[in-house]
Order: sequence, then structure tokens, then C-alpha cells
Amino acid sequence: MNIEMSASDLAFRDDVRSFLKDNVCKPGEDYGRGRLDWFAKAAAKGGWDVPKWPQAFGGPGWTPSQHYIWEQETARASLPWDLPFGVGMVAPIIMGYGNAEQQARFLPDIRARKVNWCQGYSEPGAGSDLASLKTRAELSADGSHYVVNGQKTWTTAGHIADWMFLLVRTDDSGRKQEGITFLLLPMKQSGIEVEPIITLGGAHSVNSVFLTDVKVPVADRIGEEGKGWTYAKGLLQHERTGLAGISRSLVALEGLKAKAASVVCGDGNLMDDPEFRGKVATLEIDLLATEFTELRSLASAQAGAAPGPESSILKLKGTEIQQRIQKLTVEAGGIYAAAWGGNQVGPGFARAGMAGYLASRAYTIYGGASEVQRDVIAKNVLGIKRSST
Amino acid sequence: MNFDLTEEQQLIQGSVARFIKDNYALDTRQQLVASATGYSDTYWSMMAELGWLGLPFAEENGGFGGNQVDTMVLMEQFGKGLVLEPYLASVVMGGGALKRASDALKEAVLPAVIDGTCKLCLGYAEPQSRFDLHDVATTAAADGGNFIISGHKSMVLHGGSASRIVISARTSGERTDVNGISLFLVEAEADGIQRESFQTVDGLRAAEITFKDVRVPAKNLIGELDAGYAILRAVANDAILALAAEAVGAMEMLYKDTVAYTQERVQFDHPLADFQVLQHRMVDMFMEYEQCKSLLFRATLETVQNSDELAQRSIHALKHLVGRAGIFIGENAVQLHGGMGMAEELRVGHYFKRILVIDSQFGNADYHLQRFAI
Ligand SMILES: Cc1cc2nc3c(=O)[nH]c(=O)nc-3n(C[C@H](O)[C@H](O)[C@H](O)COP(=O)(O)OP(=O)(O)OC[C@H]3O[C@@H](n4cnc5c(N)ncnc54)[C@H](O)[C@@H]3O)c2cc1C
Repeated sequence: MNIEMSASDLAFRDDVRSFLKDNVCKPGEDYGRGRLDWFAKAAAKGGWDVPKWPQAFGGPGWTPSQHYIWEQETARASLPWDLPFGVGMVAPIIMGYGNAEQQARFLPDIRARKVNWCQGYSEPGAGSDLASLKTRAELSADGSHYVVNGQKTWTTAGHIADWMFLLVRTDDSGRKQEGITFLLLPMKQSGIEVEPIITLGGAHSVNSVFLTDVKVPVADRIGEEGKGWTYAKGLLQHERTGLAGISRSLVALEGLKAKAASVVCGDGNLMDDPEFRGKVATLEIDLLATEFTELRSLASAQAGAAPGPESSILKLKGTEIQQRIQKLTVEAGGIYAAAWGGNQVGPGFARAGMAGYLASRAYTIYGGASEVQRDVIAKNVLGIKRSST
Repeated sequence: MNFDLTEEQQLIQGSVARFIKDNYALDTRQQLVASATGYSDTYWSMMAELGWLGLPFAEENGGFGGNQVDTMVLMEQFGKGLVLEPYLASVVMGGGALKRASDALKEAVLPAVIDGTCKLCLGYAEPQSRFDLHDVATTAAADGGNFIISGHKSMVLHGGSASRIVISARTSGERTDVNGISLFLVEAEADGIQRESFQTVDGLRAAEITFKDVRVPAKNLIGELDAGYAILRAVANDAILALAAEAVGAMEMLYKDTVAYTQERVQFDHPLADFQVLQHRMVDMFMEYEQCKSLLFRATLETVQNSDELAQRSIHALKHLVGRAGIFIGENAVQLHGGMGMAEELRVGHYFKRILVIDSQFGNADYHLQRFAI
């Protein structure tokens, strides 16, 4: 056992640091398109614009520890989020199961962030139980296209997306996981209606998408008919570990301490308050443990082993930690936690703190709700067999 | 021992419940939230006509002569209805201070508070004060028959639509001294006052109010000079009891809505309520709600039957538990509704936001835990 970085990892880290320092990227430009220039520079570094893509498709071919360094350094530099749907989600599926024509047609624009994607999985009746989805796709008589009818919901960025990747039902005669097909379709066409869903902070990021007789050429189906569930499942697992956000939480925790230290409290500041300081400390302890849980999982991946049981807890621990950081930020806001409309009052972080806290409640709902995640661990990791619910 | 409501209290409960049923559908409420004042003047007049605005005031001032139990009954229903009108600000907070003023001031002001034509608010918090009522930097200097007030009051609940403001100001001593604080009644339109009103996250309104050399006649002093803290503390305690009652009403709706939703929503061929982990979570939500209600009764009855000073520990305990348990119930109501819990179109999110704001008023859960532990 040894936790020191190798010389080559240290050199890599310095390279990343100097790249990020020279190419500052403003927070807020997070929907990709505003940063085309940044991505072009990252591409010129040899695939740094698509760190997770395999080398065969232009990725950098980093080792797991290089990925970890990248996560840490980009978090530290507060690199804005890239919407995950294109580069992170649909691209691996197209690489893994799409044909050469589809790869040539879609991957370059995804990589250049020229096209925005959204994920059409959830439906009103299919949330945690995704396999019960009902949106129908009927093959036309001449076999040239599908006709899609149904409703998707909670579609993040559906209102700004150019394309959607979605799961549809092509057969309901067998098990519900069978008969699901993976399609791609352009959002700007007749038969598609996008309605906003306003969430707790008043934000519009998710949508209902209604599909009425939408024609999808068979050429825009990924892989085989009826195999969509298998394709999507591998990706879901991958999406979950990506949601843990541990490097970002380490940075956010430091931010929280600084915010609390700026709040006047009696004769000192809020970090002098034993109750508050104790909660920050408890949080930090959990985060230190989670950071090493991630490193252990990384080390086994580095050695080429299958992810160990520890990796299954990362999404749960990581999202709960993110929520606790947000909650403490609200508490730090004190009387100003409630301020919402109009000009900023109180400390500069107060309003964003409340907005962040409200939004963070969804972290334990999407990407596998926490209760369902625990079910999965009980079954797959602890090996518990249940006779009924 | 008896925890039953009197006949009069049952009548109030029934009439508030009916008012909410008839007037407070969620979409109606959200339209009011989006309006300029953030509530309905028509509803306010109805509340005056129904006698609710006179509930805690003495009969000789035109009130109903009620106590904190009566206010609790009303506020619990307000919590269920997510009511927006400035009842707490005008009747419990501003009115609560005036109740403890000289007879002359009471006679001059309370009738208009009770008939709804005068809306009061209470300015006690300041940018540096956090939750300490005795941290007062705003000053009031005697000048002949007047006081000259300068300072900044923060997050004043419904401060923008109030016609008169009750504020705490320092008349002697240092910034955090308990002694040397005095309370004044100030005309909201007086020269030197600037108000900036804004929405709070629960859809209510608050204001930042600055005072620059504002002249207030000495007769508008509430209580004795330098001895305002005792009044302020008593008013804060009444406000905590009222807010806790409101929160308890909201918690009841949250757990019941969740129980109902999970029995309707089917995933994996089962209603969600079939899953034991969710059953246990809902039982925990229910238990926390009942515990809050018990502390609410305890603190309220101790206040009525003894004094708020003797009830102080119970009041700290109550405000702590309401914050801790309320947020637990709110977070889990959202969680168990899944994505729907995040949607503004369902009421669970609105109850949750109201509970978050209640935790930030008059000291949050941590603050009262520390006061309790002293
Ligand atoms: C902000 C946000 C963004 C989203 N973005 C997208 C998107 O871009 N694309 C997309 O396709 N979807 C998206 N989703 C949807 C998300 O994937 C679903 O919300 C999620 O799958 C949960 O489904 P549900 O909301 O229907 O909740 P439900 O499945 O109804 O779950 C409700 C509650 O029941 C619990 N539960 C469910 N089953 C069980 C069980 N077997 N045992 C114990 N407890 C159980 C859950 O844990 C949860 O607490 C988004 C959701 C949100 C909130």
C-alpha cells in the first residue's frame, strides 16, 4: 500500500494545472456552446475535451489515476459543468453499439459540442421502474422507419436540445426488459411538443416531451431492435459513479468554511460556533472517507480488476454529502436564507445557497433514487435474496 | 389534565379550515404570490370581518381576549393552507409589541390593527445580528420631545406593505447589551425611511428598511425606556409559538400527502407504499410530527398557564425540534414523491419551503439547541 503519486502522475498533474491556468473558463458558461473555443484548445492537447472517450475515438487514453487527477484539478479550477448527455451519455452508446455510419455522422458534432442532446428515458409511469416504459415505436409496413407515440418526462434540457436519445417499446410480449429499443431523434420536428416543468426554486431545466406520430428512420436505431435495455443499463451504472462528485465536494467544503467564516456571529464568526463547526467537521470526516473509497475503487480499476463492492456506495455517499454541504450553506445564511426575489440582500452566497439546496434534493432522486440504490446493493453486493417485496 | 379545545376554539378552527378550503387552492395561492403585495387585500378584509385580527387583543381594546392557545389553533390551520396574509407580522409580532404598550398607545393604534386598516410589522433583525434579539446597532437618540432613529432593519416580514413599523433601537449601552434597547412605533411613510420589499423563497414578502435620522415622537415609545428587550423577548416567544403551530400544520399535510401519494403511485407492479423501507420512513415522519405537536402543546400551555419566562426552555426545545423535524419531514416528503416532489405544481414543495423559512426566523434549530443546553 502506498498513497504517493508516481513521478509521471505528478508531471501530468502539473501539465493539467498549467493548462487550466492558461485557459480559464468562466463559470456560468456551462451549456457547452459558449465554450467551443475552450474545447478546441483542450482537443489540441490530445483528447482533453473528451477525457473518458476511448483512444480509438480520439480520447486521451488516460490511466484511472490520470482521470482522478483531472477530476481534482478541474474541480479546483471550478471548471463549469459540461452537460453530460452528449459526450458523457449518448456517445459511449454510439461507440459501443452504433454502426460505422452512425459513428461518423454523430460523434464529431457531439465532440465539438455543436449539438445538444437530451435523455428521454423516464415517463410518467416509468421512473425507478424504467423498464415499464410505454412509449411505442411501430415499424412501418415497408420497414423503413418507426412511428413513435408516447410521453417522456423530467427531460433535462429538452427545451434546448437538438437531439434526443430515447428508449421505446417495440414489443410487449415478453419480459418488460425485452422489447425495448434505443432510438435517436431530432427535437425540432412536428409531432414533438416540449412543455416546461418548473421545479422548486422556480427554475426551468426539466420538461415533459410529447411524441405524436414521430417518424424515426430505422437508420437512427442504435443496435438491434429489442436490445435497448442492455445498451442503456451499462451506461446507467457508469452515470451513477459519475454523479458522486467527490472532487467537487472537497472544493465546495472549503468554500463552505470560507462562507461561514465571513458570517458575523456574536463577537466572532460562524466557524467559532461549536454547533456549526461540529457539523462541518462531521461532514469533512465523511468526505475524507469517501475520497478514499473512491481511490480504492480507482486502484482496483487501475489494476484491471472488476470494480469492488466499495464502488457501489459512491453514488449514495457522494450525493448525500453534496446535499449536506448545501444544507449547511443555507444554515450559514442565517436570517438571509429566506431572501429570494429582488436585489441580493445579506451575504452574497445566501440566495444561491438556497437555490443550490433545493436543487440538490433531486440528487438522491435521479440517477437511481437512494432507496432503489440501496436495494441494488442489498441484492448484488450483499447477496440478499428476497422472496417477495 | 385535558388537551381538548374549547367550543370557541373549535369554532375558530372550523371557520379557518373552511376559509382555506374555499379560498386557498394552490393555483389561487400562486397567483397571489405573483401579485404586487404577495397576498390578497380581500382575504385580509375577510379576516378582519371574521374577527381573527382581534383574536389576541384585550376586549377593552376591541379584541377577542384570546391567548396563545387560540392563536395556535388559527396558525395551525394557516400552516395547512399556506396562507400568505400578514397575520403573523401585524397581529402577533407588531400587535404583540403594542399589546405591551401604554394604554394611550394601545387605544390609539389597536382598533385600526383589529379592523385591518393598519398593518404592522416588526423590525428586530439587523445585518450583523444573526439570531440575537439583543444585538441592536440601530440607535434612537432623545431630542426634546422626539427620538431620532438611524439604522438598518433586515428581513422585516411584510415590511413593504405595513403602514406602521415597530422597531428595536438602542437608547443606551453597547451593541450586544440586553439593557438599553427600546421599542418604538414608527410611521412607515415617515421622512428618512427607505423600504425595499422582496419575495422570500416561500412566496411571502420581507423588506430591508433603513432609517436615516427619522423623527419619532416620544409618545411612540413602547414600554419603558431602555427596557424593550423583555417585551421583544416575549413577542419573539409568541411568534415562535405561532410559527411552530404553522409548521406543525404544514408537517401534517406533508406526511399525509406522502402517505396518500405512495399508495397511488405504482412502480415495479406495486404501490410504492408496499415497500417496507418507505413505510418505515413515513412512520418516522409521522412520529416526528406528533412529537412536534406535543412540544407545541407543552410550550404553549406553559406560556399561558405560567409565563413565557418560565416556559422559555420549552420554547427553545420547540423551536429546535420544529426546525430539525420539519426539515426531516420536508426532505423526505420530496424524496418519497420522487421527481414529482421537485415540481412546483405539487404542494409538498411549497410546504417544505415554508418550513425552511420558518427555521430561519427567530433562531434556527442550532441556535435554540444551544440556548436550551445552557
Ligand atoms: C431534476 C431532475 C432531472 C431529471 N432528468 C432526467 C432526464 O434528463 N432524463 C430522464 O430520462 N429522466 C430524468 N429524471 C428522472 C429521474 O430519473 C427519475 O425521477 C427517477 O428515476 C425516479 O423516478 P420517479 O421520479 O418516477 O420516482 P419513483 O420511481 O416514483 O420513486 C418515488 C420514491 O419511491 C422510491 N422507490 C421506488 N421504487 C422503490 C423500491 N422498489 N423500493 C423502495 N423504494 C422505492 C424511490 O426511491 C423514491 O423515493 C430527472 C429527475 C429530476 C428530479
